[in-house]
Amino acid sequence: MTDAASPMTGVSPRTQRLKARLRARYARETRFRWYGRAAIGVALAFLVILLGSIITQGYTAFYAHTVTLPVYMDPARIDRSYPQGANFEQIVAEQQVRRLGVQDDEQGSKASAMKALLSSELKFQAAKMVARQPSLLGQTVPIAAPLSDDAEMYLKGKITRDQPEDQRRVSNAQMDWLDKMKASGAIRAHFNAALFTKGDSTQPELAGLLGAVVGSALMLMVTALIAIPVGVGAAVWLEEYSPRNRITAIIEVNINNLAAVPSIVYGLLGLALFINFLHLPRASPLVGGLVLALMALPTIIIATRSSLKAVPPSIREAALAMGASRTQTVFGHVLPLAMPGVMTGAIISMAHALGETAPLLLIGMISFVPGVPHAIDEPVGALPSLIYIWENASERAFHERTAAAILVLLAFMIVMNAAAVLLRRRFERRW
Amino acid sequence: MKSRILRAPEGTSNGGASEAATLTTVPTVGAHASAPLGPIKIAARDVSVFYGDKQALFDVSLDIPDKTVTALIGPSGCGKSTFLRTMNRMNDTIPGTRVTGRIEMDGGDINDRKIDPVLLRAQVGMVFQKPNPFPKSIYENVAYGPKIHGLASSKGEMDEIVQKSLKRAGLWDEVADRLHSPGTGLSGGQQQRLVIARAIAVEPEVILMDEPCSALDPIATAKIEELIDELRERYCIVIVTHSMAQAARVSQRTAFFHMGKLVETGDTEEIFTNPRERRTLDYITGRFG
Repeated sequence: MTDAASPMTGVSPRTQRLKARLRARYARETRFRWYGRAAIGVALAFLVILLGSIITQGYTAFYAHTVTLPVYMDPARIDRSYPQGANFEQIVAEQQVRRLGVQDDEQGSKASAMKALLSSELKFQAAKMVARQPSLLGQTVPIAAPLSDDAEMYLKGKITRDQPEDQRRVSNAQMDWLDKMKASGAIRAHFNAALFTKGDSTQPELAGLLGAVVGSALMLMVTALIAIPVGVGAAVWLEEYSPRNRITAIIEVNINNLAAVPSIVYGLLGLALFINFLHLPRASPLVGGLVLALMALPTIIIATRSSLKAVPPSIREAALAMGASRTQTVFGHVLPLAMPGVMTGAIISMAHALGETAPLLLIGMISFVPGVPHAIDEPVGALPSLIYIWENASERAFHERTAAAILVLLAFMIVMNAAAVLLRRRFERRW
Repeated sequence: MKSRILRAPEGTSNGGASEAATLTTVPTVGAHASAPLGPIKIAARDVSVFYGDKQALFDVSLDIPDKTVTALIGPSGCGKSTFLRTMNRMNDTIPGTRVTGRIEMDGGDINDRKIDPVLLRAQVGMVFQKPNPFPKSIYENVAYGPKIHGLASSKGEMDEIVQKSLKRAGLWDEVADRLHSPGTGLSGGQQQRLVIARAIAVEPEVILMDEPCSALDPIATAKIEELIDELRERYCIVIVTHSMAQAARVSQRTAFFHMGKLVETGDTEEIFTNPRERRTLDYITGRFG
């Protein structure tokens, strides 16, 4: 028999060559699969490192300690008509020093050290209680208040006794006191609700994210209300109505270019246009939303156009041939079919806008804004700018809060992206 | 030859223009016709179509009788689909397309500025090569045309239209119990009949079919052909087909296109048994195309 008998079993040179070639082809395929796995592995490793470091740094911000102390409301030192003026921290600190059986010196340095462990929130709470119920004067009432950031750092193990005493902000004596109070049950750990219910503060133990979350949400609302209708409208016109000529070609090229413009340039534009020219309130969600809308527009237009393009022409033809007008065709058939893509594009660009920091710096959103905003023309903070501010703060306790803020921002984005996926599924239809 | 043959000009287009011009004046259907033809529904005169700079159709003049199936045959790219699409002005939807010449329907020029293509398309329905039901329910598919043109004043009337259309398209028995399931869930042949039902729901006068069976299996094709034969009683049907056998089976008149020109037209029987043109003979006997 000749080698022509079967290419599978023969041993002729031709068959040999074919087999060698086949081996090389399979080898290439196997190599490529491994490249792919390696790439995914590297990406996953980076993700794990990133998330891991954020979580290990940030999880401690989600719990806090509260100290509950019996306070003798000394009528001699608290003015009934003006309780806000009383130095409650000093009063409480002195009482607590005595209660722990510590002998204070003449300068009252022990009381000062004790006072450093308490948050200024104590004073506001006590003053409020007295103002509301002046009869408390002369009595001993329990008051619960956060600990100072330094005390927190010790309790969370971020400051330890291993460090030289002169290089840490909590002395050995203070540490002993904290340990005692903890052992006696005066200090208790709990979920840090303040992080989600308070605005920014100069004191880390009192600083919360709510102001920034509300600021970001208001800003995104403005962005979505402007960017989505305008972007989708522009895309529909460009894709379905516009004549194909030089002008539309120029518009198209420029939209693609705008998508690549650095965001800080949009910030400058917003500063010049909305603040300096239109005199809109600086650092307001209105201006922030407008700037982010400008930034999100090209992305939304591009995403919408490509999903409009992906609608099979047969659907357009079917509608047109039935005597549907162009607008009936677009809004009755083409746009609904393109909706999953449009939604995905819009939400992804919103998520992008949410994390954008650079343009916010230029329109003044980098300033310290205590409290929670209520209107779109008030100055606010935003999550990314809050992260920037906190990261630059000198207090150690802000570092864990920075990581916590990043986690909240990530959660915000995961929620948005999940919404994109859900909407996609919801609207997806076969044709 | 008993049937009248309208010949598109061959060779130079200069010479062809004058020849075609004279044709315009002659009555196109006369006593010579072998079979009695209905009145002319659509009369095309010197129709040329340009896609940008490229000319796709050269001075086509053709009469299409009513209540008849007219088949347009020819090799790929010969302009038969282009010609079909001039009759409901679907070419208008492609940017850069220019149509010259006259196309008269019942004596009126459909390219007239005063004619709204949207209304024209309600009169001239179209069925495409690939079944293209909307991704909606069967009912909504059929009801779409009457809805946008405001043909039904009540839900009951609409139900009636949908039922009548589906019955005429021979689909009613298969879908009566699932009118509200998606039209895209039907088989290819059923989808194509659904699309035909959708087209006839607006009571058109003409139905254009662009290779309606090319995506279907032989059984589905047979059903569609049967349907076309039934529809002939009510409508003027123009069908583009690649299948010579199909043209022979379903049509009474045939027009052969080649290289953007109308080569020959006449009674189907005549064209298939005794073509006048060498090219027609070559094509129908499978020598090219």
